[in-house]
Parts: sequence; structure tokens; C-alpha cells
Amino acid sequence: MDKTVVKGFSRPQKSYWKRLASQWDIQLMVLPALLMIIVFQYIPMYGVLLGFQDYNLFKGFFDSPWVGFKHFIVFFNDSDFFRVMRNTIVISFLKLFIGFPAPIILALMLNEIGKLYFKRFIQTISYLPHFMSWVIVSGMVTSMLSTENGSINMLLVNLNIIEEPVNFLALPQYFWSILVAADVWKSIGFGSIIYLAAIAGVNPQMYEAASIDGASRFKQIYLITIPTIMPVIIIFMILAIGNLLNAGFEDILLLASPGIREVSDVIDVYVYRIGIENQRYSYATAIGLFKAVISVTLLAMANYAARRSGNSLW
Amino acid sequence: MKKRNHVFKLLLVLTFAVSLVLSGCSKEGGTKNSPETNKPGVTNEGESKGEDGFVFGETPIEFTFYGHYDWYTMNPWGEDEATSWIKENKKVNVTSINSGGGAQQKLSTMIASDSLPDVIWLDRGSDVEKLREAGKLVAFDDWLDKYPNMKEWVGESTINMLRSPDGKIYQFPNWYTTQPNGNSGYVVNKRIYEELGSPKLETFDDLHIYLKMVKDKYGNSVTPYDPGLSGQGIELMASGFANDFPTTYVGMRAVPENDKLTSLFSNPVYREMMVFANKLFNEKLITQDALTQTEDQVKEKMYSDRVAVFASSSPTEIAALADSMVKKANPNHPGFMMIWPLHKEGVDKTKVWPGDWGQLGWNVSVITKEHENPEQIFAFLDWFTGQEGQRTIFWGPEGLYWEGTNEEGGPLFNDRYFSENEKVAELMNTTNNFQWNGNTVFIDTRKAAIELTLPEEKRNWETKWQSEITWKTQFNSTPFINLHPSPDSDEGIIEQKIEDIYLETFSKALYANGEQEVLNILDKAEADAQKAGYVKLLEFQAKIWQNNVNTMNQQ
Repeated sequence: MDKTVVKGFSRPQKSYWKRLASQWDIQLMVLPALLMIIVFQYIPMYGVLLGFQDYNLFKGFFDSPWVGFKHFIVFFNDSDFFRVMRNTIVISFLKLFIGFPAPIILALMLNEIGKLYFKRFIQTISYLPHFMSWVIVSGMVTSMLSTENGSINMLLVNLNIIEEPVNFLALPQYFWSILVAADVWKSIGFGSIIYLAAIAGVNPQMYEAASIDGASRFKQIYLITIPTIMPVIIIFMILAIGNLLNAGFEDILLLASPGIREVSDVIDVYVYRIGIENQRYSYATAIGLFKAVISVTLLAMANYAARRSGNSLW
Repeated sequence: MKKRNHVFKLLLVLTFAVSLVLSGCSKEGGTKNSPETNKPGVTNEGESKGEDGFVFGETPIEFTFYGHYDWYTMNPWGEDEATSWIKENKKVNVTSINSGGGAQQKLSTMIASDSLPDVIWLDRGSDVEKLREAGKLVAFDDWLDKYPNMKEWVGESTINMLRSPDGKIYQFPNWYTTQPNGNSGYVVNKRIYEELGSPKLETFDDLHIYLKMVKDKYGNSVTPYDPGLSGQGIELMASGFANDFPTTYVGMRAVPENDKLTSLFSNPVYREMMVFANKLFNEKLITQDALTQTEDQVKEKMYSDRVAVFASSSPTEIAALADSMVKKANPNHPGFMMIWPLHKEGVDKTKVWPGDWGQLGWNVSVITKEHENPEQIFAFLDWFTGQEGQRTIFWGPEGLYWEGTNEEGGPLFNDRYFSENEKVAELMNTTNNFQWNGNTVFIDTRKAAIELTLPEEKRNWETKWQSEITWKTQFNSTPFINLHPSPDSDEGIIEQKIEDIYLETFSKALYANGEQEVLNILDKAEADAQKAGYVKLLEFQAKIWQNNVNTMNQQ
């Protein structure tokens, strides 16, 4: 919606006011949306200033003292800084590299299924987990991985793969895999919907032509389907890169225990634990702002790279 | 031209938006402000202090109540027998404000928007102090003589310990006491114990042998040792490794020596305990889920009779239910029992303290200046903690399950109390939620006296073991109250670091590969803690501790 407004701005034919007046009824409809964005996205932005204050709840915003970059310096010098940054980046990249292509692959596979009922069935069960909250999912993961009566341990013991049950959730070396697996399981079906829609838009004549030319199913996927839906993939890739530092919050908060903080502490969880729970609001804001700046930079970089393929966001 | 157009458009949109936002806000502000200025109490507060003909029980009292805990949701007031009796006969109505699972955010929001509730129920410490410093709380001093119960039951000495730095009292304690209470200890499954020939179970060596027997006989179908949530049952073992080394010190992350506090990580008693725990853990005698299991998982194991020894800081509630469930499932099952706290060979068993109790009890209620007549609330809280209030909220109103009282104020039960067991339990479970300023001594002594009149099989499992074991083995930790610095102070930031180090170390040491690795992990924790400023925190806390000791000695 923003986009069309901007485009309208850049090609004035009649006087701007005249045009605006002639479509006042339509403009009126835009207004609530604009208002929403301003009220809920822009006005609250003054809150980032807390990061430069020693905010005191009782004194409020206007009477709290200004301290410049104090909280940023404290964070950068904190012994947890490198660990938190490393985990954030590693977990995000793992989620990006595994979680991003997974729904595309699922969509391609679903597309090859001939029986409509079977396809619908798979689609439905694979997107259902999306509607479960992380509280439920983490409860399921915890009990499945439990050493006592946990189904995965029972399976592995009975298959003689391990001798004694292993508490996977308490051992740091397994955490990233568990996290990424749970994340993929939860989001794969819903994520594939958009790609299925894109695939549905591919011109069937191309497949017909290809099969007459003797292209195999794999070749058709590789040479027709993927190139056709590439613009969609790229746009989603850019958005995913903008989200790179959102390594996750609820999933980690619920699945991780203090013993594996070494591998589980990411920026958002750290902000919650140190900042919000201890009422260090300014510190939390400073870290949040730092994260936002990096995210915007990453987004801009990804967009710049994508522009060369002609599929950028702006 | 183009640029100017842009600016125009931007300005237009902004004017529209801002004017709408402003009008929206002012409306909200208007409705919000008006009732406050109309509050009768605000204008005539000065002359109305208690002189406006207020009589407790006759003048209707309305106030809002906020429990500052993620898990706390107040039950609706007046919907059970006890509170509806209070509502009708004492004309008290309480409206609940809930934390919605995010207590810290809720309180912060209420502070920031200046819409505090009338009563806040919370832990002692920095939140209370911050509210007081900001002048949001009402002091009780003027009313102490006017209303009898706080002075009588809480007592001068506890009131003095609760006083804020300005010398006034702002906090109404909950479950305050002058005698030991608490449930911390070890629960043993009697069926398994008897099947294994009821071996001696007094020292840690006995425990080690016993757990191995359990493992050998039952394999993976029984958990030999379950330490409850977050390894509580492991931490409390520390109390058995030296005379007078209560679990309290582990919780404090500090060990007193003379008049100083010293590091927990370098403490030989704690280190010995961790080495022992690590040994049990590596031999799979402690559940491998120890640090990740949820309460539901613990309950499930206990209720289905699959735990041999269960230890935690409050195992009694789960054990009592498990006791009745396993007996129901199998009439020959002897149930569960508690054992005297375990100790190392050579440690005096009367000097083992797996849990603690404090004169000040658990938490406090504070009254804010929001209410037009805070004295009314104090009058209610004072009544609530007294005999009549406690009897009503604990056993229901007179005429329901009891008729009249004995000379000690304890209720005399009627037949319904004994025939309607489940209904009584249901009422108690509901009203437990309203125990905001529970009177431990009154309730506990009356409860124990009632138990003694019952035949053995009808006695409450919890009460039995409390009076036989746990109350005798809880440490008085009153001198160590209020050790926590404000979380946003320098010491608070250090404390938080130490806490992180502790939790991580505890878990790593448990999972370590043998004694040497445990000790190395503890050495590293010590080094990290020192780097984070442990000494500064310990000095700060030692000062508070010494202050507490002085206050207590003055009495």
C-alpha cells in the first residue's frame, strides 16, 4: 500500500491537491491504515531514547537522567556479549539455511503429487503445527526427549542405538539441532503455502512443451518451476535476512535450561532475562536498538544484492 | 517543485494523523482524570483520617488487590462460602487485578501509568523499597494500637525487622511465625523400601547403597532418586555434609564465616556435596531429567509409584497426594514416609537443616495511597490475620463445618467436616488463594491439635510428617532476610551475574565426568565470580546480615 502511494507521488499529472480532492473518498480509506502505522510503529519509537537514559519508572521519561552511550558500552564490554552474539548469529544462520529452503522443497514435492486428496491431506497435517503455541510445542518436545518414558529415548534404546537414555535437552551439543528441527517442523507447512501458490501460477504450457522435448520430472522442476518462482524466493530471502537477528525468543526461552546458556543465550532472550526481568529497561532498550540497527543494515545489504537480479524490495 | 510537493504531502498526512491522535488521547485522558479528581478522599484526606465514622464490619470496604506473581490469579471474591460470608457480614469486597502471567511488566505498567492498585501482594525487598521511596505507600504506624491483631500476632520483634529505613512499617507479613515451619526433606517409597528389606537409611553412604539396590532390582522402571524441580533435592543434600550448614547458604550463594560472607564455589562443604551428587548422577541413580523436568513430570512419576526416594524443598504436597493415590490403586501399598534428613558419617544428625523458616514468613501486603481511606484496608487485613478472620478463611464460616471454638480459638468441627472430606478439601484449596497474611502459629497449632484427636488412619499425611520430622529440621534463617540488592544497582548487576554463574556451574558440575572435572568447574566458577565482583556483593550482603542480627539482638 505504501508503495502505490509513493508511486502516485512521483508522477504528478494534475495538481496534487486537485487529484487528492477528486479521490478524497479513497484517500479517506487509506487514513486509518496510515494512522495505525504512525500510532503503533512511529510514535512508540521515541522509546528508543530510553537506551540513552538511566530510566526510572517513578521519575518517568522526562525526569530520568541522560547518560549517553553508557548502556551500549556496558553491553559491549560484558563477558556475555560475544557468547550472545555468536549464538544469535549461529542459530539464525542455521534457521536460515535449513528453515528457509525446507518449505520450498516441501512445496516442490507436494506439487509433484498426483492424487489431490493425498496432497491436501499432507498439506493439512504439515501446516497444523503452525497454529500451536510454542508453549505446547516445547511441552511436547520436552516430554518426547525426556529420559524417563520419553518416546525418542525409548525408540533409540530399543533400536540399540544408545544403551542408556540421554537427556538431549540438557546437553549443549544437541541444543541447536533440537531447536532447528522443532522450528522446521512447526513452520514448514505454513511456509510452503506461499510457494505452492507461486507454483500454481506457472504456465502449464511450459511443462507440456518440456515433456514433449523429453525433459524428466527433475529437469522440469529444475528448469521451469524453480526459475519461475525465483522472484518470490528472492523477496522472501530478503525478508528472512532482515529477520536474521531474530534468532527466536519463545522457542529458546521455553526449551533452554540454565545449564546450556553457553549455546542458547541469544539477544532477545538475554534482553528479556537481564533487562526486563531485572527492570533494567534502559539496558534492554540499548541492546534492542543495537539489534535493530544491525538488522536494518543487513536488510539493506540483502536488498542491494538482490537488486542486481531485478527483484529487490525497493 | 517535486520536493516541495513531497513536503506538503508529508505535512498534510502528519497534521491529519497528529490531530486525530491528539484528539484520541485527550478524550482518553479526560475520562481517566475525572474520577480521580472526583474522589472524595483526595480532597478531604487531611481531616478524614480515621475520623469519618468508619467502623469495620459496618462501613462497606471496597479495594483492588494485585498479586505480584506470574502464577497468581486471585479467585473471584465472594464465590465460595468463606469469602461470601466475609462479603456479607463484614461488608468487604475485593476486586482482583491480575498479572496475566507477566507480573513484572504489569507492575511496571501500573507504575508508569500511575494507576497502582490499592493493595499489592509481593515479595519483600527492592520492589517494596522502590515504591516506598517514591512515596506510593502508606505507613501503618498510626493504626498499630488502634487495631489489635497485627501487634498481637505478628509481634513487636517481627514488626521491627520489617521496618523500612525511615523507621516506619509499610508491610503486612504473610505466614509470619515464631515457631519453625517448612517441608523440606526426603520422602521414601515404603513399598520399594520394604521390598528391599528396609535397610538402614541414615547416612549418604546408606543412601548410595540403597539407590544402587533400587537400580539393580528395578532397572529403568523406577527412578532411584528424584530431586524435584531445578535440582532442589540435590542442593538440600549440602545440609548433611557438615554440622550447621543449612541449605539456606546454597540458596544465598554465600557462606557465613565469623561476621563475613564467603564464596560458595570455594566452600569445601559445597564442593564435597557436588562431587557426591555428580557421582550419583553419573551412576544414573539421580534422574537424568533432574534439571529439565517439569512439575507435571515429577507428579506423574510419583503418582504412578515409580520413584524410590523423592527430595525437594517442599515434597509434602506431592507426596501426600501420591500416598493416597498409590494406596487407592493398591490397598496393600504401605504408601510413602519421610525419613530423618541424611548426613555424612560423623555429622551430628541434629545439626542437619535441609530447609529453613523465617520469622517474617513468606511475603507481604502493602497498601498504596491510591485508596481514599487506606485505614479501612488496614482494618480489614488486621481482622483477616486475627482469630476470626483466619478461622473463616481456613475452615470456612461458622456453621458450615464447625460450631463454636475451644479456649484456644480453634474451631470445634461438626459431623459434616468429617463426612464431607472432599468438599472440605475443595473449599480449602479455593480459600488458600486468599491467604494474604496467614497467621502460621494460629493455624499450625490449631491444625496439629485437631490432628491429634483423629485416629491414625484419618490423619493428614502432611501434618503427621511436619510434626514428626520437618519442623524439627528447619533452620531459622531470619538473620539472612533481605539480602538481595535492587536489581538495577551495581550490586544487583553483580548478583545477577553470580546467579547466572551459579546455575550454569551447578548444571555443568552435575554432568561432569568425575571428581576432578567437578572441582575444575567449581574453580572456574570461582574465578568468573571474582571477576564479576563477588567480593563487593558479599560485603554488601554481610552488612545487611549484621544489621539484621543487631536488630534481632536489640529485642
